[in-house]
Amino acid sequence: MLDATIRTGAALEIEALSVAYPSRGGWLQALDGVSLSIAAGSVRGLVGESGSGKSTVVLALLGLLGPAARVTAERLAFDGHDLFANASALRGRRIGVVFQDTAAALNPALTIGSQVIEPMRVHLGTEHRAAWQRGTDLLAEMGIPRPAQVMRSYPHQLSGGMKQRVGIAAALASEPDLLLLDEPTTALDVTIEAQILALLDELRSRRNLAMLLVSHNLGIVDRLCDTVSVLYAGRLVESGTTGEVLHRPRHPYTKGLLAALPRPDRPHAGRLAPIQGNLPDLTAPDPGCNFRPRCAFAVAGCYRPQLLSGDRHQVSCHRVDAVADLPWPAEPVPPTAAPVASAVPLVEARELSIRFDSGGWLQRLLGKVGGVLAVDRVSVTIRNGEVLGLVGESGCGKSTLGRLLLRLLPARGGTLRFASAVVGARPDAHFRQRAQVVFQNSDTSLNPRQTVGMILGRAVRWFAIASIDAEVSAEVDRLLDLVRLPRSYAQRYPHQLSGGEKQRVGIARALASRPKFLVCDEAVSALDVSVQAAVLNLLRDLRDELSVAYLFISHDIGVIAHIADRVAVMYQGTIVEEGAVGDVLQPPYHPYTELLLSSVPLIGKRRTVAASTQAARAVPMAGGCKFADRCTRRVGPICDSVPPPVQQAAPGHGIRCHIPLPELAAVPHWLSQ
Amino acid sequence: MGMAAFLLRRLLGLVGVLLGMSVLIFGIVHILPGNVAYAILGEFATPAAVAQLEAKLGLNDPLPVQYWRWLGAMLHGDFGMSIVMQRPAAPLIAEALGRSALLAVFAFGLVAMGGIGLGLYAATHRGRASDKVLTLAQFLLIAVPEFFWAILAVLVFASWLNLLPATGYAPLSEGVAKWASHLVLPVLVLAFGLVAHVSRLTRSSMIEVLDSRYVLAARARGLPERKVLWRHALPNALLPAITVLAIDAGLLIGGIVVVETVFAYPGLGRLLVYAIERHDLPLLQVGMMVVTAIYALANFVAELLYAVLNPRIRVAGATA
Repeated sequence: MLDATIRTGAALEIEALSVAYPSRGGWLQALDGVSLSIAAGSVRGLVGESGSGKSTVVLALLGLLGPAARVTAERLAFDGHDLFANASALRGRRIGVVFQDTAAALNPALTIGSQVIEPMRVHLGTEHRAAWQRGTDLLAEMGIPRPAQVMRSYPHQLSGGMKQRVGIAAALASEPDLLLLDEPTTALDVTIEAQILALLDELRSRRNLAMLLVSHNLGIVDRLCDTVSVLYAGRLVESGTTGEVLHRPRHPYTKGLLAALPRPDRPHAGRLAPIQGNLPDLTAPDPGCNFRPRCAFAVAGCYRPQLLSGDRHQVSCHRVDAVADLPWPAEPVPPTAAPVASAVPLVEARELSIRFDSGGWLQRLLGKVGGVLAVDRVSVTIRNGEVLGLVGESGCGKSTLGRLLLRLLPARGGTLRFASAVVGARPDAHFRQRAQVVFQNSDTSLNPRQTVGMILGRAVRWFAIASIDAEVSAEVDRLLDLVRLPRSYAQRYPHQLSGGEKQRVGIARALASRPKFLVCDEAVSALDVSVQAAVLNLLRDLRDELSVAYLFISHDIGVIAHIADRVAVMYQGTIVEEGAVGDVLQPPYHPYTELLLSSVPLIGKRRTVAASTQAARAVPMAGGCKFADRCTRRVGPICDSVPPPVQQAAPGHGIRCHIPLPELAAVPHWLSQ
Repeated sequence: MGMAAFLLRRLLGLVGVLLGMSVLIFGIVHILPGNVAYAILGEFATPAAVAQLEAKLGLNDPLPVQYWRWLGAMLHGDFGMSIVMQRPAAPLIAEALGRSALLAVFAFGLVAMGGIGLGLYAATHRGRASDKVLTLAQFLLIAVPEFFWAILAVLVFASWLNLLPATGYAPLSEGVAKWASHLVLPVLVLAFGLVAHVSRLTRSSMIEVLDSRYVLAARARGLPERKVLWRHALPNALLPAITVLAIDAGLLIGGIVVVETVFAYPGLGRLLVYAIERHDLPLLQVGMMVVTAIYALANFVAELLYAVLNPRIRVAGATA
């Protein structure tokens, strides 16, 4: 055993790891013969969509799968130690973990300090005072400002990015050699994500750490990893160096994943190529290729069992040579496609504002009312059949603006016009019928006790599209056709649908009233890439078929670049830049747009972003530019005191900034950095 | 919002609740059938005598004036007279309250310790036979009302086994054993249902916490299970239990009325029942105010405890 370790120089070795859980339908094979290794000081990415078994690998390495799981492996070793028998002796000590969503992974009742020093106290026996000092130093190393104060704080007092830095500090406290990162940046904004990635990159070289990065995001894997393994439904399908796997993929699934990804460096690049179908049933694993039912290249022989083959760049596919030069096929364009964006304004909002007050009745009595202007005098126009993309970090007011445009929240001021008519604070049914919304989580917005047919039929009746049963069911069929779901789905309940199918039902319900305007609030954000591509294509087709206008809210610039005609960039309640997609994605840009774009992890472009810890002020300064305190290109005191003007860079392309246009234009294109 | 502002807000809330309740209690008592003057003078009093007494007691004044007079007197420490017993209400209530408090404190202690203890045991032995037996027993205890347990307890321990006295109360001066023997059955019966209630809740909140991300993270950091349970899980799991204990303090007061009646125990509950039966309205009013105040205070204490255990309330503001 030891010989093998020395020979391969591997810190972590997994051979033929299989995990099964008991479920109602029998044993659920979550992992099926997974093998991978990580050399000391190197980073391996483990990618796959939800349900692929990525997180199960992490929990298996830690020995935290729970007593019900059935785990087998030919070898599960870390630095020569058997993890099968001794996981509890190594976890937390030589193997550190950072979980997704540190907001939930930090104990709300304990101080940051006590959680950071715990591993030192338990594993290294450091006495309290020394451990506290060491913890403070560690927070400083993670780039946390005022570490001594943060040590005494509680998790709820920290921002998301700071919590993730604390999570990393706690994982590093016992000086581990291997760091397991389970979706470490998934809940974070791109700008924060870029900082965390830079920090991890720095730590890995400074401390010679081996890392396993588990993620669904191919961009960040490309940014950080030396080698990549691709997991599909519990089995590895491809493994190799990052360059090989992500830039010259050989397995059809990897090809499909990359083709399905909307890329901000290729705006409007035609239709995305989704992977049809759903994950296979894991309670009855297919002995042959389990990607076969969804594979565009599958042939009769693919039912045969197979293994990863190849020397360094390993692929598990019978047809690997036959499909070597074939790209994943794009979805055919429907025949009715005809762009319809017209010059007639449909939604016209002028100076809409809303303020969220904080504090209870006592504070109000004492006149100490705090609050934020969530939306600050925003004016937008959306034309018939046009898609306006709205991007910005979480908390910038995107969703709130969407709700204001639907009059779902009471605006503090400003006017809203819809098809030239003024929409009052309490709009009539006619407005509700023509302006609808699709939410992120169809999971929670579909009534679990009603069938799809009942859900859609209710909306049809409510808006008096039809009232006789036969007409209603005909209308339900029409809606299911529109969102490309089989008509038989009318009999199904929401829990019988996959995530993508639920989202299609959500869209169908929004379309039931035959609206002219849809607010899509992170409508594809919770979906896996392969499914997201199909829903994005669908939304685009619907726009063309029905000439519906969208306000498309997303934090994902790739998605916005793909679907939108025009983009508005929002920062702390203000639109700082707005224009056609092509204009916004190239200089001149607003410094904030520039920051956002440069933070996006792109496949094939390893860009370095400084691990700056600059975060937004909770309450922006009154008067000046809201971005002033984060801006690296400040003009001077004017930025703090005078609201910046909107400068017209091109027709319909406005930038709200004090920096003169020629200077804004004189920056390199974000893709050329 | 700092701890001081929190405290101030809750204190103001407490005063508001008590004032509101005093209006309600005063109003309800005045809607009840019966007349204080008749109650004092007897059913066959002459109308002239009644009118005279009514005038003397100020019962002809408008209700707000009467209310104000009553509230003002209470705030000055004057709790009025029991018109039936012809004694000041304050010492009557104080004496009964003391005995009831004895029941309540023992019962509440049993509920808090037994309920939380059993809940934690069940949560850490989830799905095993002991957990299932506990669950069954708890549902039985919750479903069957306390007067049933009270009667059963009297039958078994007093009539059949002859171990404990069936009714009454003995002062401490008659010996500890005798004093305690009168307390055992009422306390047990009082605590029965509530122990089940609290342990159910503690079990589910502990299970939720044990399944949380931060407990997983604590285990992933390699902490010994003992530390994970006591340091990471328990404080968070206790938060909902504390809220429920405060609500249970209210149920306890209701339970005391029943238990004191069954066991003929001379406490506040029995005094209130007596006041209702005999139309002793001034005594009833004051007694109800005292009960209300105790309940409101219990909730106040629970909120404070909750805040102390929950840093999201105790510590405010962002540092980074």
